[in-house]
Parts: sequence; structure tokens; C-alpha cells
Amino acid sequence: MKTYILKRLLLMIPTIVGITLLTYLIVRLAPGDPIEAMIRNQSGNIDPKAMKEDAQKIRERLGLVDYHVVRDRVFGPESRWQEKPELKPSGAVFTAADVADKVTSAVVGYGRWVGRMATGDFGESIKYRTSSGSRNPLALIAERIPVTATLNLIAEALIFFTAIPVGLAAARHQGKWFDRTSSFVMLAFWSVPTVLAGTVLLGFLGKGGLGWNGFPIAGLHSFGYEKFSWGEYLADTLWHSVLPVVCLTYGGLAYLAKLGRASLLENLRADYVRTARAKGLPESRVVYHHALRNSLLPMITVMVLTLPGLIGGSVIVETIFSIQGTGLLLVNAAEAYDLALIMTETLLYGVLTLVFLLIGDLLYAWADPRVRYE
Amino acid sequence: MSSPLAQPDSALLGRPRSYGAIVWGQLRKRPSAMISLAIILLVALAAMLAPFIAGEVPIRWVENGKASWPIFRYLTNAEYVAMLAFVLAGALPLTVRLVRRRAERVGASPLMRAIAIHAGIWIVLAAGLLALREPERRYGFYLERAGEAQSAWFPLIPTPRYPGYESLVHRDEPPSWQHPLGTGRLGDDILLRILYGGRTALTIGFVAVGISACIGVVLGSLSGYFLRWVDLAIMRLAEIFMFIPQLVLIIIILAVIPSSVDPLWAVVFVIGVTGWTGTYRLMRAELLRIRSEDYMTAARALGLPTWRLLLRHAIPNGLAPILVGATFGIAGAVFIEVSLAFLNLVQTPSWGELLTDGRQHLETWWVWGSAGAAIFVTVLVYNLLGEAIRDAIDPKLKI
Repeated sequence: MKTYILKRLLLMIPTIVGITLLTYLIVRLAPGDPIEAMIRNQSGNIDPKAMKEDAQKIRERLGLVDYHVVRDRVFGPESRWQEKPELKPSGAVFTAADVADKVTSAVVGYGRWVGRMATGDFGESIKYRTSSGSRNPLALIAERIPVTATLNLIAEALIFFTAIPVGLAAARHQGKWFDRTSSFVMLAFWSVPTVLAGTVLLGFLGKGGLGWNGFPIAGLHSFGYEKFSWGEYLADTLWHSVLPVVCLTYGGLAYLAKLGRASLLENLRADYVRTARAKGLPESRVVYHHALRNSLLPMITVMVLTLPGLIGGSVIVETIFSIQGTGLLLVNAAEAYDLALIMTETLLYGVLTLVFLLIGDLLYAWADPRVRYE
Repeated sequence: MSSPLAQPDSALLGRPRSYGAIVWGQLRKRPSAMISLAIILLVALAAMLAPFIAGEVPIRWVENGKASWPIFRYLTNAEYVAMLAFVLAGALPLTVRLVRRRAERVGASPLMRAIAIHAGIWIVLAAGLLALREPERRYGFYLERAGEAQSAWFPLIPTPRYPGYESLVHRDEPPSWQHPLGTGRLGDDILLRILYGGRTALTIGFVAVGISACIGVVLGSLSGYFLRWVDLAIMRLAEIFMFIPQLVLIIIILAVIPSSVDPLWAVVFVIGVTGWTGTYRLMRAELLRIRSEDYMTAARALGLPTWRLLLRHAIPNGLAPILVGATFGIAGAVFIEVSLAFLNLVQTPSWGELLTDGRQHLETWWVWGSAGAAIFVTVLVYNLLGEAIRDAIDPKLKI
């Protein structure tokens, strides 16, 4: 077990390095100059000199100082890269030396960026401040994580506790009407885009909509929630999160119910189930104690692997319901070219999923002694 | 002269059935698969023939006693290329029959040969078309002059492709005979937008999944065949793409791609490049199974070079699950397009755009309803087909 944990931890290192590298490269290799675009997007009309200084500041902060893009001529000839590229004798625009130069500058930039992050400096968000006025992306994200985490946790719990009974019932009555109906319904759920589900739910159940008018349509709290008592606050929040949670749940529910059914079917056909039945055990004991337990274990890993999908879903759901979570933060950051925020958040998502998968795998290995690292 | 040994075998069993024929036989028994396939073909046809169904360019136009067929001048090169692909795909069985004799004599697959021949024809014709032909683009020409013509065959729903101010009179109209799916905020015909949105959906679905399937197959077979450090390295690469949520990755890439890149192709590229991990894991698992099969040992014992082992023996035998994954992948790509349109990250005519437009005005239910139904039905049929193919290939496949 100890070696297993150690090996898993060691294998995490290259993945984390890869995640940082990918994040950096996306910003760096994008064919346009993101910094230029960012400034243009942010403040349509400021004088070129201020723009230039801003660009330099942002570059320094992100470790992108040596970011040269040929097409970047907006600020005048800032470096040799901004001038019209001369045709080299061979006819090529870039020589091997140029490419080597670019690669070196990319490596140096990456090193600086990682070095800054190692000292806890993740740059500054250009668009947002926390309630205490900090522009630190980590603090910004930390402020919003509770919202996203709560919604996703409720959703994951709901998914698990509805998908397993549905999958179980379908597997026990394989080929009967419940199996066929539930299979089709689950596939139909799986085929409804979150945007459509959110639109319909909001439109027909939300306030000011066409139907029942009951559910709140934006945010997680009513106005003036600061004065609520503890119980009122909880009830208010839960009431607000009904529709978002439904939107987050149905897709994963369909997926897990399908997988649960397949996994249970496999176990119900296994030799040990036949043995259990031959021993004369009651059917309920065979199903719940033998087959179900063995099918639940692999579900842990599946649940963790659905996490990235759930995070992606919460980006949409938070935007639909205007919930101030990390997903909406990312969307807004992307719209505003808030690079520090975008990069930090992407990193965080990647690393968090990695950590959860590790925990899931360790739990799995602890629960099932047959699991060994090959 | 054919081998005498082959005689009694084929006399007993008839023509040996290929793997594809067996799977197809299984599929034909499932009504859900056949219905899905029919709807898929219908959607593809409707998207391809959109200018004939709704639009403003007449098919036939008679003025001053002279007849012309304007629509064929207006069809874009891409439309011709797509139609050509459709016709060639439809004619495949014919070519298979033509080349069967020759192919079987040299021991090759007639289907593969036929596909190669058709692909060749397609590439030559498509390249010629793109190089030589310039389509007409004067929209808003015929519809206004409809009265001057002695005879005009308009598309089923004559409606301007790019509605102008005068169309605002007809805005937000519920479905009628003139506009079967109603009109939108600007007096735009919704059916027209559904048809052209279908093109976007299918392009994104097929091209993006094609890209990701290629990446996944190559990396997966390398990983599963060579194992050791190759596997270790590629697995880490796949983990990176698995752990950063795909939508998040797409959002950050689209945020830094300059607006000069065509949004449609930016999305196709981004979905393709980020979505290969599923195919990768499937292919890797297949290769792990295949590499210890007897025929691989036999091929290795013959001293075949590694590339030949991989390309001719290992990869073709592992492709069946990829087909299932790709079918589900098309549905997934349509989903992602909807999300991106909703987040306003892509500006291209699509179902997602229509749905997002319709969200603002729920009382015009035909707008979001049509878009939602189009997305739902398309995604559902691809998922149904994927399930059916999976059950036909191997019900235990974990996809």
C-alpha cells in the first residue's frame, strides 16, 4: 500500500507540470497577442503610450515579457519582432536561430511564471477584486469556491442516490418494461443540453416566466439575506438552488444509471452470484449484499471521472442562473481577457480533479485489496 | 486458378461474411438503430439541400421567354463538394460489386478498394471545382422581382437569406404556411436558420470527432502496443486533457484565439484537439488485448516490421469500439457547440445561437422550441445509434 501511494504521488508530478505547461502554452502560442487584445477589449480608447506601459506591466506579471508576435504592430516598432520580417536569404521568414530564440524565450517565460507561482504570486486579476479589495486570483477563486462546491456536492449526492436504484431496478428486470423505459428515458435525459433544460425550467417554473412563477431566477440568495436567521438562510439558499441542482443532476444521473445497470448485470451473471443463489440465499440478500456491493466499488472512480464534466456543466448552469460561483468567474474572466485569473483557475481545476482522483483511487485500493499497481 | 481448398468451404457456408456485414446484420434487426439512421440521413440531406428547401434563389426562372436555373449558379463550392460526397457514398455498393472480382483475386478488401477509388474521384473533382468555379453571391435579387418573371420555381419556403428592414413587418410571427417554424426577432425564417444551423452542427460533429478520433487512435495504439515509457508518457499527456474540464480548456483557448480566425473552424479545431482522451483510452485498451492475440504472435513470428504489425494487423482490429465512441462523440460535440454559443464565444449560425436568441423571449416559443427540438432529436438519434452499434459489437464494452 505504501509503495502504491508513493508511486501514485510520483506520477502526479509530471501531470501537474504538464497542466501548468499546457496552460502557459495556450496563452503563449495563441496566434494573436492576447495582451494586446486584452487591453483593447478592456478599454477601447486610451492613448498608445499608456497601452504600451500596461502591456509591459501585464507581460512582466505573467512572465510573458519576451512575448513576440510578428503581427503585433499596434504599438509601433517595440522590438525587432514588431518590424516587418525581412526575407532571409533562404527565402524563409524565420531561420532556425529565430525559432531557437523563440523556444528559449518561451522556456524562460515559463520558468519565471512557475517561479512566481511557487512564491505564491499568481499575478493580479485586471477585472475583479474580492470583498476585501484583493486582486489575487487565488483569493478571488477561494471566495467563490463554496458556492460551486456546495451545488456540485448536492448534485453528486443526488446523482449517486437516484442512479443506483434506477440502475439496480433496470438490471434486475432486464428486458422488461421498466428496463426498456428507463433506458430510453435516461438516454433522452442524456440528450438534453443544459442550456435547453435551464431555459425551459426557468421559463416555466421561474418568477416572471410563463408557468408556475414559483422559483427564484437568479443568484443563490434573496435580497437582504444578511439579516436572515440561520434557518431562514438555509431554507432560502436551498430554495434558490433547486433549479440549478436539477440542471446539474440529470445528465450525470443518466450516465451513472446506464453504467450502474451494465455493471450490475455483469455481476449478476458472475459465478459467485450463482453460488450464492445455489446456497439458497434469499434473492434480496444475493442482490444487495453480493452483486450491489461489488458493483458499487468501480462507481467511485466513475464518479470522480465525471467531476470535470460536472465542473464544465456548472460553468453553464452558473451562467444561466447568475450564480456567483467559479464557473461564472471563468466565463467573465475569459470575456475580459483576464489572463491571470483564467490561468490560475484552469490550473486549479486540473489539480483539484487530480487530487480527487487520487483520493478516489486510494479509497478504492483500501476497500478492494485486489487492486495493485502494475 | 483459385485454390481447390476454397471450393467446399464456400459451397457449404456461402460467401464468407465479413465482420462489418455481421455487425450490419445485427443493426438491421434493431428498429431504434434503423429509425436513428433514417433520421440522421434525413437531417444530413436537409442540411445539404438547404437552398432548395428555404431561400430566395429560384430553382427555375423564366424571363422574356428565356429559362434559366439560377440556383445552380448560387450553390457554393462547399455545397457541391458535400453533394458529391453524398452521391459517391451512395454509389459505393455499385463500385464494390464492380471491383469485387479483382480485389478477391489479390486478397484485398473490395470495400476498402471502392472507398479508395471514390475518395480519389472526390478529391480530384473537389479540387477542380474549388480552383475553377466562382459561385454567384448577389442575394436579394430574385425575390423582389418575382412579379416580372413569367414563371419562377422558388424553394419550398421562399424567404430572404439575409432579411432586411422590410422583413421587420413579419417579425415574431408564429408558425404559418409561409413560415412553417415561424419567424424571429428580425423577421428571419426559423426553418432557414435551423437548416443552416444543422450544417454547422454536422460540420462540427464530424470534423471535430474526425480530428479527435485520429489523435486518439494514433496515441492509443502507440501507448497500448509499446507500453513501458511510451505508455507512461502518453498517459500523462492524456491525464492533462482529462483533468482540465474540456469546456474550461475550450473557453480559455477560444478566449485567446484572435477574431480573425473563422469561428466555425476555431471551434472545430478546439473540440477536436481537446476531445481525444476517450478514443485514446478505448484504443489503448483494445491494443492491450490485441497485442497478445495469436494472430499478432503469428505476424510477429513472420518477422513483419513493427509499422506493418500496427497498421495492417493491430489497428484495424481495434477500430470497432472507436466507431461507437465516435458516434457518441458527435452528439457530445453538438452539445459543446451549444454551450459555446450560449457563452457567446462563437459567432456563427448554429442551433446553439438560435437557442440562445430564443432564450431572451420565451413567449416566442417556436424559436427556442425549434432549436431545442433540433438539438435534442439530433443528439438523441446519434446516442441511440451509438448504443445500438455498441450492443451489436460487444454489449460489455464500457463506453
